[in-house]
Amino acid sequence: MATDLRISNISKIYPGCIANDNVSLQFKSGKIYALLGENGAGKSTLVKILSGVISPDNGEVFLNEKNLKLSSPLDAKKNKIGMVFQHFNLFETLSVFENLSIDATEDNKSLRVRINEILKKYNFSIDLDVPVLNLSAGQKQKVEIIRCLLRNPKVLIMDEPTSVLTEQETEELFISLKKFCDEGILIIYITHKLKEVLSLCDEVAVMRKGKVVSVSQTQNERVETLANKMVGQKLAKIKKKINISKNKDEIFKVKHLNFYSDDPFETNLVNLNFSVKKGECLGIAGISGNGQNELFQILSGEIITPDASIIFRNKEIAKLNPKQRREYLMAFSPEDRISQAAVPELKIYENVALNNFKSSNFFEKGLVNEKKIKEHSKKILSDFSVNTDNVELKSQFLSGGNLQKLILGRELITAPELLICYNPTWGLDVGAINYIHETLIKINDQEKSTILISTDTEELLKLSDRIAVIYKGKLSKIMPSEEVTPEKLGVLMGGGSID
Amino acid sequence: MIKIEKRNDVPMALYFFTPFIAIILTILGGGIIFYILGFNPIEALKFYFITPISNLYGFSELLLKATPLCLIAIGLSFCFKSNNWNIGAEGQLTFGAIVGGGVALLFYNQEGFYILPLVILAGAIGGMVFALIPAILKTYFNTNEILVSLMLVYVSKLLLDYLVVGPWSNPEGFNFPETRQFSDSSRMPLLFEGLRIHAGIFLALAAVMLSWFTLYKTYLGFQIKVSGLSLKTAKYAGFKGKTMILVVFMISGACAGLAGVGEITGPIGQLHRMISPDYGFTAIIVAFLGRLNPFGIIFASLVVALTYLGAETAQIFLQIPKYTGQVFQGMILFFLLASDYLLFFKVKILSLKKNELRH
Repeated sequence: MATDLRISNISKIYPGCIANDNVSLQFKSGKIYALLGENGAGKSTLVKILSGVISPDNGEVFLNEKNLKLSSPLDAKKNKIGMVFQHFNLFETLSVFENLSIDATEDNKSLRVRINEILKKYNFSIDLDVPVLNLSAGQKQKVEIIRCLLRNPKVLIMDEPTSVLTEQETEELFISLKKFCDEGILIIYITHKLKEVLSLCDEVAVMRKGKVVSVSQTQNERVETLANKMVGQKLAKIKKKINISKNKDEIFKVKHLNFYSDDPFETNLVNLNFSVKKGECLGIAGISGNGQNELFQILSGEIITPDASIIFRNKEIAKLNPKQRREYLMAFSPEDRISQAAVPELKIYENVALNNFKSSNFFEKGLVNEKKIKEHSKKILSDFSVNTDNVELKSQFLSGGNLQKLILGRELITAPELLICYNPTWGLDVGAINYIHETLIKINDQEKSTILISTDTEELLKLSDRIAVIYKGKLSKIMPSEEVTPEKLGVLMGGGSID
Repeated sequence: MIKIEKRNDVPMALYFFTPFIAIILTILGGGIIFYILGFNPIEALKFYFITPISNLYGFSELLLKATPLCLIAIGLSFCFKSNNWNIGAEGQLTFGAIVGGGVALLFYNQEGFYILPLVILAGAIGGMVFALIPAILKTYFNTNEILVSLMLVYVSKLLLDYLVVGPWSNPEGFNFPETRQFSDSSRMPLLFEGLRIHAGIFLALAAVMLSWFTLYKTYLGFQIKVSGLSLKTAKYAGFKGKTMILVVFMISGACAGLAGVGEITGPIGQLHRMISPDYGFTAIIVAFLGRLNPFGIIFASLVVALTYLGAETAQIFLQIPKYTGQVFQGMILFFLLASDYLLFFKVKILSLKKNELRH
């Protein structure tokens, strides 16, 4: 039974922004479709319309020529449109089975039978009775997929599904998706990862600024052509020249770093030892949730580990708080840019004042020197090409890319000797990612060092001089990046070993 | 089916306007209650909100009641803005009054210009020290400040009870539970002959100005603001979180202590069991009605003070129990929270057919 999904003239306008501008697309079962676009291109809006989360201002959705009224997620479910979001909607402390039974319409016994059928059919290995918090990201995603499959979907929409997966898990996912496709489920795959489009999908629709700018067969596309369509401009290739750092001084050295937490949601760190040389970028790879959060907080001084030894520029800094570490010329860019690195309700200049280093004179004798902070903020906005010059703007109105530029600008304007960043380009569009990467490379060119904790292997391979992998709180041996391949990283990130 | 969604952009103007909506709804709600109780609602509301301030004496009483509310709420705004839930201001007020009153009793038979400042200072320190208890327990032992500060209210009230019936009771007082009268040198100067309004109001106004300056113009204020919005960010910026908790509790306690000492050296003139009609609790409503903004708090303290006065007037003229004042205060808070909820979230009512409910 073929499925035919047609989107006709969909428009959705938010105050000050046209999220979807007269979007028309057609999908047929038997193929995997990619919906490609930068952040803010309108993909998420379109998907939310398809899944009934928001209603369009204009336009219609037809499934097998039946006009669908999608005014709530229930309508989407009823019409057999399944959706796996980027962030999982699972109760961590409930078991897999309990999670699946929450919105089931049948009794537990027959539900279990059906789940087991699905597990067997697609070769998923998941224990139904363990709490979800014990599962890996890939397994959690499978639970979400099973939840969709239980409803016999005609359409399955996957929103950025690989952002939390290892290379192996991604491969497994692709195999499953192809199987679903062969069984007649129409698959719409949303991503901004170009390679995935090419390796998985049959057809690709590119969105830019709310409009569909191109629909094409993937076999006619290459990474470069897709990137150009997505960004709308020729991308300058950036390639880092590897620093010859054999004889340079170690500027930062961590010895016997252990961290134990009572919190089941935190990861314990086990005896980490590493060092960073002058002008070097040390990459730390890993799937999120393997101790990166804890490591970042310990390096920044948010968590103090008095027993460890952290030497920075020949001084012991393990007992210093983040502000004191900044005085020694360290800088930090945390993963959570929205609620940690900056406060959305604060104005730009107030967010700049968060990095109140000694020579800034932002606060003299305990008083706010607003003029100084604003001058300084203006300079950051222009030096780091943030697309506003209004320092009074609340930072919640900045896009992710601009916010990240502001944060990096704030951290870098002190000319730090070491920048520690955690997923600096997470969720950003290609243009912003390039800008951030160029900035990070420039730091190394100026003989300053960086520690890049990232879940994006492509980014790590591009920027790092040496790479280590963190898995379950343990660090692998540190490898020169020219010896590292994506496959090797994938194996280590998944807990395997290489020799 | 009802669905609740967060609103994306809440206009600031509306944010400061909703307290007025809450007040109007409270008056309407009050009218309905009076009607149900069998009173003419218009007349009852007139007794409640207009009669009390229709003459100079009434107006001075309004300021007199607004003074402690304003002082305490100003202090609380430091705590609340930085995510510290001090709800024991009533205890800090009482303890401040005990310490300040103790000093006043030391000087019961002496005169001197230095006595009143000493009494006031003692009251502020008393409140500060009492507020430090939940603060220290929170910072060093991870206790919940809501519970500790609330429970300490009863500790200080019982201590006051013990003192006024026991060691500090007036030897010539026929065993009434009260202390000696303070000497005139321990009393707040009256501003006008025949009115009870006293110099304590200047303390409140000074607190308003000082708190505005501290909250908006100093590094401490900046840290309070950031911590209130995001504790994660405060940690990341390297603010000294523990010190800040101690400081905001100290400010808050000192303000409550000042309010307490203002009452006993002002209209009361001695220590007894009933030094405060729960000003410390009501000030929580004042702080939120004033949007934790120093000038908003002035306005809010006047509105809430009127509910105290109105309750007394209504008791005299309509024989309604004066506890209706608390009903009004409760309604203000309820309507404020409700309108805030509608301000920050929108409620969508989705129509569903019966069979769809099973999904």
